[in-house]
Amino acid sequence: MDSAITVARDREDVVVGSEIVRHRLYSRLVHWSVAVTFLIATLTGMPVWTPVFGWMAYLFGGMTVARLLHPWAGIAFFIAVVIQFFEWISDMRLEPWEKDWIGPRLTRYMRYEEDDPRTGKYNGGQKLYFWAVALGALGLLLSGLLMWFPTAFPRWLTELAYIIHDITFICFAVSLVFHIYLGTAAEPGTFGSMTRGTVTRAWARLHHPGWYREVTGEEPRPAKR
Amino acid sequence: MTLDIRRSSASVWGSLSGLRNAQVVSKYIDTTTCIGCKACEVACQEWNDLGPVVTHQVGSYQTLPTLHAEYWNLIRFDEREFDGGLAWLMRKDQCMHCDEPGCLEACPAPGAIVQYANGIVDVNPDQCIGCKYCETGCPFDVPRFSQTTGKMAKCTLCVDRVAVGLEPACIKACPTGCLHFGTKDDMVELARGRVNQLKGLGFAQAAVYDPKGVNGTSVITVLAHGDHPEWYHLPADPHVPYGVKLWKKIIRPLGAIAIFGAVLGAFAHYTKFGPKVAKGSSSDTDTNAPRA
Repeated sequence: MDSAITVARDREDVVVGSEIVRHRLYSRLVHWSVAVTFLIATLTGMPVWTPVFGWMAYLFGGMTVARLLHPWAGIAFFIAVVIQFFEWISDMRLEPWEKDWIGPRLTRYMRYEEDDPRTGKYNGGQKLYFWAVALGALGLLLSGLLMWFPTAFPRWLTELAYIIHDITFICFAVSLVFHIYLGTAAEPGTFGSMTRGTVTRAWARLHHPGWYREVTGEEPRPAKR
Repeated sequence: MTLDIRRSSASVWGSLSGLRNAQVVSKYIDTTTCIGCKACEVACQEWNDLGPVVTHQVGSYQTLPTLHAEYWNLIRFDEREFDGGLAWLMRKDQCMHCDEPGCLEACPAPGAIVQYANGIVDVNPDQCIGCKYCETGCPFDVPRFSQTTGKMAKCTLCVDRVAVGLEPACIKACPTGCLHFGTKDDMVELARGRVNQLKGLGFAQAAVYDPKGVNGTSVITVLAHGDHPEWYHLPADPHVPYGVKLWKKIIRPLGAIAIFGAVLGAFAHYTKFGPKVAKGSSSDTDTNAPRA
């Protein structure tokens, strides 16, 4: 029998020994493309946004290089998001019972009190984040194009673009901090799903019991009180 | 004359460097005595060593439709019919050197646009990153992007001449005396005198154009038809665009605080709640990723 990491090259949602494949290689590569292009766009955009982050420009050789790279990194980011969008959209439909993730359930989740046995491969928060990323990437692209070619558009539209680009980015950056935090320190075992592509059975039971049931055919053990 | 800097683009915290009190200088433009000879245009091209620009026939004597990265001084020719008369208007168009410059406000490159203590607003091509934000920030539509250099360019008010006690090239070249150069106070006084004279000559609407929206400019203009600045392609009430102000003064600092806040928030959360592990288990090997 193939080891989990071999299986994870082209299949996902399968059990291999004590592990479950969560993201196949293609899925992980697409996600890392999104991450890397966003990182470059961020590091080249933030110094232009405010001099507080001016030091980031020196990673690329100064403000001029940052300004030249930024729009292209942005285009690459948008393309990566589009590919990721179609890779993951089939799992991202928000169920009616997940609607309250905007609000009380998100708070309960952050307090580790959220314990819904129905939670599938992605929880409501992840689904909302997926849609927010898609919408945000579109907003950044459109406003970014206006800022790239400001003289081609009416003045008020360019002014509006600066504001949209800024607010969208701020929302992106704030939620990304928590995305990275939850995917690493806060939820041990999660980061492996984006590197090896696998998670442990225990991880799946804890975070995604519905998915665990679907993939293993076993009932996730009720949590001990 | 000193070249202390009063304001610099994209400075995190003020940039006033001057201990000395520099007097604010200003150009004086009297549109009523301009004869449209374009000597100022030629003088500007020569002094600033700007290349020849292909002219466009726009149906008047005007050299180009608008200012250009290599043409910083343009006489605008306009014909306006008004109550029983025809006005042939000529106005010298160039950077207005605002006291509150929208270009400088919008510029994200530290030191790419500076305002000297004497009021002159200048582009420093060495620092300019060619983002064109200043075009959005300028209420007078002055800065131009140069395809040749990839940088912005505009009138410098001949800061290199002014700094050594000379008047700007355009002023030097004017044959009718419709252009003057001096301290802002002197030029305002001169303009007021001329406006009174014009009123006496029957131009009741004559006015000094020194717009308050940008806290005055270092180019003040005498208009015979002061009630219609738009006839001269001048905005009636110019100001730094509200979008630029909102973006730079409110969203930018709040955003930076929000991002730092998110990082702190994640740390605080980890400190209070720690990692999420299965209830009853004590973050044993069960929840950690297996070794390959």
